Amino acid sequence: MTGVTRIGSVYDANMTGAEANRLSRWAMEYGLKPCAIAGCFVVVALLWTFPLQHLIAYPFVFLFFGAVMGSAWFGGFIAGFVAVLMSSLLIDYFFVPPLFSISVAKDSQSFFAAFIVCAIAITVVSSARKRAENAIRIARDQLEAKVQARTAELQRSNLEIRESERQLRTLTEAIPQQIWRTDAAGCIEYCNQHLCDYLGLRTEVLRGEEFFTIIHPEDKALFRQGWQAALANAGMFEIEVRVRGADGIYRWFLVRSIPQRSEDGRIARWYGIHIDIEQQHSAQQSLVQAQDDLTRLLRTLSMAEMAASIAHELNQPLTAVVTHAYACREWLQSEPANVEKASATAEKIVQESTRASVVVSRVRALFRKEAQVRELTSLNQLIRELARLLRDEAIRRDVSIRLELADDLPQLEMDPVQIQQVLLNLAINGMDAMTRVAAPRELVIRSEKHGEGEILVAVEDHGSGIAPAIAARMFEPFFSTKPHGTGMGLAICRSIIEAHDGLLWAEDSAQGGAILQFTVRAQS
Amino acid sequence: MIEKPETSKDKKETVFIVDDDESIREGLSNFLEAVGIAAKCYSTAEGFSAHWSEAMAGCLLLDARLPGISGVEFQERLSKLGIKIPVIFMTAHGDIPMVRKVMKAGAVEFLTKPFQKDELLHAVEQAFASDRARRKEEAILDSIRARLDSLTTREREVMGMVTAGLLNKQIAGELNLSEITVKLHRRQVMEKMRAGSLAELVKMCERAKEPSWSVHLSE
Repeated sequence: MTGVTRIGSVYDANMTGAEANRLSRWAMEYGLKPCAIAGCFVVVALLWTFPLQHLIAYPFVFLFFGAVMGSAWFGGFIAGFVAVLMSSLLIDYFFVPPLFSISVAKDSQSFFAAFIVCAIAITVVSSARKRAENAIRIARDQLEAKVQARTAELQRSNLEIRESERQLRTLTEAIPQQIWRTDAAGCIEYCNQHLCDYLGLRTEVLRGEEFFTIIHPEDKALFRQGWQAALANAGMFEIEVRVRGADGIYRWFLVRSIPQRSEDGRIARWYGIHIDIEQQHSAQQSLVQAQDDLTRLLRTLSMAEMAASIAHELNQPLTAVVTHAYACREWLQSEPANVEKASATAEKIVQESTRASVVVSRVRALFRKEAQVRELTSLNQLIRELARLLRDEAIRRDVSIRLELADDLPQLEMDPVQIQQVLLNLAINGMDAMTRVAAPRELVIRSEKHGEGEILVAVEDHGSGIAPAIAARMFEPFFSTKPHGTGMGLAICRSIIEAHDGLLWAEDSAQGGAILQFTVRAQS
Repeated sequence: MIEKPETSKDKKETVFIVDDDESIREGLSNFLEAVGIAAKCYSTAEGFSAHWSEAMAGCLLLDARLPGISGVEFQERLSKLGIKIPVIFMTAHGDIPMVRKVMKAGAVEFLTKPFQKDELLHAVEQAFASDRARRKEEAILDSIRARLDSLTTREREVMGMVTAGLLNKQIAGELNLSEITVKLHRRQVMEKMRAGSLAELVKMCERAKEPSWSVHLSE
């Protein structure tokens, strides 16, 4: 202890404050503290040994082992060593004969040496044990700190995830569109508030098959088909369908869905969006309607103009004929009868009548159709095409079209464009007939075999049927019950069918509507 | 059996037919000739207006559809030119707006081809009558105007005041003349205008649209 202070004083003179501080801490750690600990333990052991030496056999030194052990444990190797030194000296001085001297009697030397060796061994073991325990404790502390840090980190990232999920959800709710998510099998997992509000249903209600109930019955089959195909092909799915709102009214929506894949490439879920296209749809519908009206108007106009021109052409010679005829009578009735003038006038009448008939044949030539077209055609295919053509029109008029087509029909020679025109005319007439009838409005188009090499096609509506007065005249040209009809539709249809060696006629349907049917025959 | 228009014999009242179709022209003229009405044919509107003279009495039988100019436009042009001959329209197809328009513009009749002979004769008769009335009116007006022209300026002045109801004394005061002089002028006016009474004179002036005197006119 004195040595240490001496070394410190040697360096004191040329040392900076910080280094002195470090040195003094070092001296405290390895000098003062071990010595103090060792001193305390040894003094306690000494004080207890004095009274106890009279009770236990000579020489009693076990308490000093405890002091050494304690010093090494609490003060480390240095303290242990100092304790060994101090214990040896004190034992030698107080308890080894000759007493109160530092010399050792010959017969006590082995005992004393054994004590020192044991004490040193205890110091080494105890201090090593202490060091190991310290190391473990430090390692445990470090581990704990690490665990705490990691836990905190995990909590933070958890919070972040929750926050970003909340933001995402807010975003999906903020988008003024209807959004849903399904699992890989197509079962609804989540609907945003807009969708729930529009449907007036909760997400749970839409699971599985229930989802299809919100689709319009007529679009359901198409929707299901498309959705199954998308699930099978794992591709994007897009379709325009009518979706029922909470108020029971259907609106047009563009439904679009894309799959999300997991890391192994399999589909994890589907995201879907419903975009309201009712307005575009109705705008489109009214555009189509306007176009229709325009073409109809144009057709009527050109028809009216042509009629005016034909009337003028015919009226000129007819007027001449009439005036000449009046003149002829006047000449004959005058006193005396002017036969010469009368016969000249009669000649004029012949000329003018001939001119009138030329006009008539010219008009007929104008309407005579071009070279006949005959192609081997499947009537069923024509009907299916027509149904496709009429899909929008039927939806607009709230009419459903049902096809009942016989499978075993032969292909026949016909003009497909003309027959298509007839079909279209009959179908439109049928739909017109149902405008004032309450829903459900259904138009049935049937095809069947009708004798050898002959096919019958019937277009049946559920309207109010044909009044007898109308039935008698409905195939006449220029006869129409529609405010803007030309009255030519059925007349043209009949002439087309007759050109195909067929018949076109009307019957009452058992359901109260009308059946317009025609036959087409194999051309010989 | 046809009640021929009474005037057809005394005057050369003629139906002027304007139609681009020759057979119509022939038929009409043949028929009109048979019933004893003079007819003259023109194939174009221009042909008619080129030959027009005030002496041509009768009516115009006009096709509403002519090459180059419509009958309606031609009717407007005639009234602009001051040709007041009555017009009968014919057409193969008349639409209501056109009929309304030509009738408003003073057409006598609108015939739709082919027409009955009675329709035509009735229209022609009506047109002739209207033309006659018009001519008579014009003849009277012409003679009144001729008489008016024979008046001196002072006499015309006096006449204006007389028809306005002024007394001789007032006229004298107005014109700074003696009452005797006014009386003389007045007698001259009555003589020249061949008016038997003051009322007759007033009527004549009214017909000829002769302005009568008023206070603001003299100011």
